[in-house]
This record gives sequence, C-alpha cells and structure tokens, in this order.
Amino acid sequence: MSGRHDSRTAALTVLAVVLPLALLVLALNVGAYRIPPKAVFTTIVGAVFPGAPEAGPSPYADILFRIRLPRLLLALFAGAALAVSGASLQALFRNPLVFEFSLGISHGAAFGAALSLVFLGRSVPPQAAAFVFALVAVLLVVAIAGRSPSQVVTVLLSGVIVSALFQALLSMVEVFADPYALQSLVFWLMGSLGQATWGDLAVTLPVIGAGVAVLVLMRWRLNVLSLGEDEARSLGVDTRRDKVLVIALAALITAAATAVMGVVSWIGLIVPHLVRLAVGADNRKVVPLSAGFGASLLLLADTIARGAAPFEIPVGILTSIVGIPFFIVLLKRSGRVWQ
Amino acid sequence: MRALVAAALLLAGAAAHGQDRAAVTVVDSLGRTVPVPGRVDRIISLEPEITRILVALGAGERLVGIDYFLRHHDHLFPLVFPKGSSLPLVSNQAQELAVEEAVRLRPDIVFSSPSEFRLAESIERKLDVPVVALASMGRFDGLLGEIRTLGRIVGREERAAALIAYFEETLRSVGRDSPSGRPAESRPSVYLAFWGSLVRTPVSYDPVVAAGGRNSASGLLPDHLGAPGATIPLEKLLVWDPDVILVQGNYPPEDRRVSVGSVLRDPRLASLRAVRSGRVHYTFGYWYWWDPALVLVETVYLSRLLRPGGGPGFDLAAEGDAVFEEFYGVEGAFSALCRILACHEWKTR
Repeated sequence: MSGRHDSRTAALTVLAVVLPLALLVLALNVGAYRIPPKAVFTTIVGAVFPGAPEAGPSPYADILFRIRLPRLLLALFAGAALAVSGASLQALFRNPLVFEFSLGISHGAAFGAALSLVFLGRSVPPQAAAFVFALVAVLLVVAIAGRSPSQVVTVLLSGVIVSALFQALLSMVEVFADPYALQSLVFWLMGSLGQATWGDLAVTLPVIGAGVAVLVLMRWRLNVLSLGEDEARSLGVDTRRDKVLVIALAALITAAATAVMGVVSWIGLIVPHLVRLAVGADNRKVVPLSAGFGASLLLLADTIARGAAPFEIPVGILTSIVGIPFFIVLLKRSGRVWQ
Repeated sequence: MRALVAAALLLAGAAAHGQDRAAVTVVDSLGRTVPVPGRVDRIISLEPEITRILVALGAGERLVGIDYFLRHHDHLFPLVFPKGSSLPLVSNQAQELAVEEAVRLRPDIVFSSPSEFRLAESIERKLDVPVVALASMGRFDGLLGEIRTLGRIVGREERAAALIAYFEETLRSVGRDSPSGRPAESRPSVYLAFWGSLVRTPVSYDPVVAAGGRNSASGLLPDHLGAPGATIPLEKLLVWDPDVILVQGNYPPEDRRVSVGSVLRDPRLASLRAVRSGRVHYTFGYWYWWDPALVLVETVYLSRLLRPGGGPGFDLAAEGDAVFEEFYGVEGAFSALCRILACHEWKTR
C-alpha cells in the first residue's frame, strides 16, 4: 500500500515538473498570431544561441519575446504563488477553506489598485498600490489577532473583518469614481495576464520565486505547525515566529501576483485540494506539488482565455466558472482527506 | 447668425413650452410602448446623451433634474448648457435614481438608459410617470431615431427634423469626400483603443465607417448587442496590423491612460504599419454614448484623417465650432472643449 502511494507521489512529482514545461511549450504555440511550430522553435533557438541559423522573421520574435513569453512566465509564477500560498495557509490554520481571500489579501490589493486607478492617476501605479495594500491587509490581520490564545480562529475572524473593511472601502471608491476610471477598475478586478511586461516581471518574478522557495523549504515546519500550537511548541518550534513568517510570505507572493494580474480567484483553493486528494495531507508533498500544479492550472486557464475566442476572456472569470463547480465536486469527494 | 440660432432655439422652446398637444405614444429602445402626455413641462433625464439632445432641441429649460455624470464628469455639457450646473442631481454613482428627490421635482416624464433594462419599469412603478429608455447604442441610425423620438415627445418635431437633415447632409458631404463608397477591403483599416485601454475596442463604430475606414474589430461580437467593447489579446492587434490606430482622446490629457505617445513608444507595437508610418491619432470616442454635435465633428475629422494621401490640413476648431453652433447655438463651444482636450496637439492631416 505504502509502495503504491510512494510510486504515485513520484509520478506526481515528475508530472508537477513536466506539466508546466509542456504547457509552456504548448502555450508558446497558441495565440491570435499564427506562428508555425517550427518558426517558434527556430526563433527561440536563434535568440538563445545567437549564432544559430534560421531565426524566424522579426514579428515572430516580437510576439514570442515581448508578448507571449512575459505573459506565460507570469502565469506560471503567479499560479505557483497562489497555490503555494493557499496550501501553506491551509496547513497553518488547519482549515481547508483558507486562502488568500480569507486573510484580506485580495481585497486589500483590489482596494489599492482602485485607489490608484481612480484617485492617484499616474503618480502611483496600480501594481504598486495593490502590493502595498495587500501587505497592509495582512499586517492589520496580524495586529488585530494579536497574541490571542486561540489564534487560529482569531486570525481567521480578523481576516473576515479586514476583508469586509477593504470591500467597503473599495465600494466607497467605486461610488466616487469617474465612470471611465471605474471601467478600468472593473477590468482590473476581473483579472488578466495580458498586460504583463518585462518591466513588471523584473520585480514580480524574483519576489514570487524567493517566497515560493522559502515556503517550500518550510514544508517540514508546516507539518509540525499543522499539529496544533501545543504540540508544535513541545517539539521545539517557535510557533509565533513561524506563523508570522508563513503568513508574511504567503501575503508577499500573493500580493506580488495580484498586483500585476488583478484578482484571480480559486487557484489557491482548488490546487492544494487536488493535490491532497492525490497524496494526502502531508505538507512535505502538498506544498511543492501545489507549486507545479498551480503554475500549470493558471497557464492552462490563460491559454484557454486567449485562445478559445477571437476576443479575450478575463482569466479571473474563467478560473471562477471552472473552479466553483470543480470545487463542489472535490468537496463532496474529499472530505475524508482532512480527517 | 449665431445670435439668430440661439434666439430661435429659445423662442421655439418657449413657444412649445406650455402648449397642450395631443398625447403621443412612442416605442423606446427597450421595445416598450410608452404613452406620453401632450404637455411635457418638467423633465428628469438620467441619460447624458438624451439630456444633450434635449438641449439641442431647445428643451433644456424644461429639465428639472439630471444625472450625476453631466455635473461631475462631463467637460462638454457646461460649455453648451451652463444652466445645467444649477439643476438638481437625481442620481449618483451608487444610486440610479434618488427617488424622493425625483418625487419632489414632480416630473412629467423621466428619461433613462436602456442599458439599465429594469430601471425604466422600476421608476414607472415608483413615480407613476411615463419613463422612456432611449440611446443611440453607438449607431447613427439609433442617434437620429432618438432625436426624432425626443422631438415628438417634447413637441419639437421641426427642430428635430432640421437637426436630422443637417446631420444627414453633413454625412453625405463626408461621404462625397471620403473613400466610404469604396469596397471594404480597399478602405484603410482602423483600430480603436478606447476606454483607457490599449486592448479594449468597440466592435462597431459608425464614425469610422462613415469617414471611409474599416473597423478592424468589426464583427468580433454580435452586432445586435449594440456597440459593446471587446477586449482583445494584444497579439490580435499585430494580426490585424491596422493602417491607422485611433486612441480615445475624450479625456483631458492628464487622465489619459493610453496616449498617442505611449502607443508610438510601445516596443511591442513597433512592427505595426500604423506605428511605423506614424498614423496613430486621437479621436473623440464615446462619452456616455455620444454628444450629437461632437460625433458629427468627429466624423468630419476622421474623414480628413482617413482620406487617401492625407489630403490638405483643415481647421478642426473652426469646423467644430460651426457644427456646435448649429446644434446648440453657442459660440466657440467646440474650441473651448478643444482647449480642455488639448486638440491643438492632434494631427489634422
């Protein structure tokens, strides 16, 4: 039984590495501008090895390197960020329904972007404002929760309060918004990877990469933390420090992703559940596998969003439409995993 | 001439004002048949496009309540109807209609937008007054039909007919001078970057077609939806490779999130024909649908821009002022608008 479980984990580990790369290759070949697969290959080889012959014509290079690749890399990193953030928070709070929305991160980011789009003009980019307010939301949650003895519940309740606060503030901004700024805001709130540029990625990818790496390295501690505070302390873990660290990192990577692509929901909830369904609740497996499958899911959703119709479907809408029924099915089938 | 038009508007408005006429029945943009009383002295308008047309028809004096957009966000309306700035507001961003304020104003009729399809019924039930939902939906025939219907409702049929005739004659003269009669494939293709985004575009835009262009996004979404915008993947723009890119310029420069300069400098767009040839321009675009005078000026302006070979330059301000005088009887309104929008920086050839 254990051997079968191990071989399944090994297979999933390989899949978690291979699937995002395979989807990346596929997605590089999908788009409104038709580029023959051979031209995709020669253009990329030509760019990587400048001496190589037969680089594709210039529009191909522009499309691949200026439009598609930044977008696909953002999808990979943001998907990994949301899934790892969700998996870590669920382990920490021992609650399968926790994800970035539960700690006010998404609504904090949305409020920040709204402030920028509606009131601050060009002086503060929406990405920067979203990032700042996502972190403000988490700091508020941590401050409200304080040193309460039943901190898991308190943090969750604080998250609900902070989310509600930022939702109200967002509604207030919408009330005062110029209707045309409001259009930009609504579009941003729907989530899209389409506007990713290398400039955005220069900041976002290192932040997400570092945050995900540290959370993956902490997967052992997450197992200990998920035992409960008393047991974790008895095993010599500084629970307060580790909790703050996990929450801060989860907030950081989610905020970094949300700031560039807008609000994209459900990845942080669906992917860890899928992974737990396959390998159980061991965070040593759940966290790293969630990174690979989260990256794959968002990349797949974005590829469908830009390839399924002549116009673009906001990826946030797509993940919600697909995610909600999928989650209902999962919920029906996977209740025992958390027992 | 200007004084004559203004005086005629005022006199005709006053003459029609207070007259008892037979009740009329109109069919609004929602397909609702609405009986309207013969005497319409007190009007609430929640739809900016309708409000502008009412002013052009000479019925502005009968407005007793207007929408928040015209007061807070429209830089054009105060130029053509300064009295509008003292009218009570009956809506705000979060509230489609302030019902108690509307009751206090005792309207004979309320105009609303068909986009809010339940609003008309809801207001009718609450206020017990006829509610007519009208909009051009971004189509010239819709706009002219709207002018005609509003003319009937406020008893200004002749003025409506005159405006329609002027509009149609201007379109005909544009058609004579532009390549609109040419087969679609030989017309310049035009991409419209609207609503403060490079990738949001209207799927139909009559001014471009009337001016002899071909909207690249035409047919992207079903036409019967009116003139909605679609969001495109950026590389779709590279597939279309339009001859001309038009950026919505109806925002003051400091509010523009996309500008001609930002399009020309964007390295992702460097290979586009329009960018290489420098044919990236501003146009006006929607501003809660249209202002009837402004969209006509826009069509004339675009016909000059899209003319094969560029054609001679022209004085946008002078042509615009003439159209605005015809509609509103106000001198220099378009020039004043242009100062706000920095139109002097727009290329006119």
